[in-house]
Amino acid sequence: MYRGREGQWAFVFHRMSGVALALFLLLHVIDISLVMLGPDGPFDAFLVFYHNWPFRVGLIAVIAGVVYHGLNGLRIILMDFTSWGVRFQKPMWYGVLGLTTLIGIPVLWKIVPEILGVA
Amino acid sequence: MASAGARAQRPRTFADARAMASSSSELGWWVFMRISGLLLVPLAFGHLWANNMAFNAGEIDFAYVAGRLAQPSVKILDSFLLLFAMLHGVNGLRYSIEDYVKRPGRRFVWKMVLFTVAGIVFVLGVMTLWAFSFEEMGDAMRALGAE
Ligand code: HEM
Ligand code: HEM
Repeated sequence: MYRGREGQWAFVFHRMSGVALALFLLLHVIDISLVMLGPDGPFDAFLVFYHNWPFRVGLIAVIAGVVYHGLNGLRIILMDFTSWGVRFQKPMWYGVLGLTTLIGIPVLWKIVPEILGVA
Repeated sequence: MASAGARAQRPRTFADARAMASSSSELGWWVFMRISGLLLVPLAFGHLWANNMAFNAGEIDFAYVAGRLAQPSVKILDSFLLLFAMLHGVNGLRYSIEDYVKRPGRRFVWKMVLFTVAGIVFVLGVMTLWAFSFEEMGDAMRALGAE
């Protein structure tokens, strides 16, 4: 399975997206926790900063990461628990990439205009 | 390429996992990664849908979050998301540390830092979702800062 070529890339992307998401999650819970400081607290000011386009683009990357990692996770689970999973790992990986791209189209369609301020 | 580096040592099937697990708790985590992964598909995808597709994430502010967290269903789903994503993510980070940090002393330090930070963040997350009303909590935090 993880012997070079597609399997190797699938693993590298899975690990990179997993680690990035876990680090994002730690920051995300901290920033959402600022709501505890109330309506006059720092939350809104902080979010205005977060609404700058580099962060919005970052959120798109987060979404892409969840979609890829989640779908590839399902592929790993199929390889682990079915008799045919390992045999079809390569086509399944292309399926994961294809589905991730497919899901990305409406996501970009909705969010890019918001970032450009033309929504 | 004959070897796939770190991952080559990892089990591939449940039978492998059982044979290779260094302890029953390692096998438990291997199974947990898969179960939590399955649960995270609807939880994480639903969360992303609600905050990015059903809403403009560029307009998230206090009122929006307060409104969301006033809904019991959001509180409950967010709690499961917090629990499973934290356990799954932190255990995944632990795998990476064990693959890349080979020196025992350093490995221990990295893991302790990870678990400490994750523990604090988890408590913060639970507090945000459940512990206090925002007003009370804000007063308490300000009182702490004002000392
Ligand atoms: C959306 C559904 C998800 C599924 C189906 C899923 C599935 C998986 C699977 C099957 C593994 C392999 C575990 C192993 O090697 O034993 C894994 C690893 C990992 N996951 Fe997830 N996961 C999901 C979401 C997440 C989220 C939200 C995070 C971040 C908080 C995350 C972080 C990680 C990390 C850091 C690893 C370790 C990567 C590695 O060892 O290479 N995952 N995931
Ligand atoms: C990429 C765009 C994302 C946006 C715009 C976003 C937005 C939000 C918002 C507005 C809240 C407040 C409560 C709610 O509305 O549910 C929240 C809470 C939360 N989010 Fe996200 N989120 C994103 C991604 C993620 C991802 C990928 C994860 C999981 C890995 C995640 C995990 C959580 C958790 C656990 C909470 C509860 C925090 C707490 O305990 O206080 N979010 N998010």
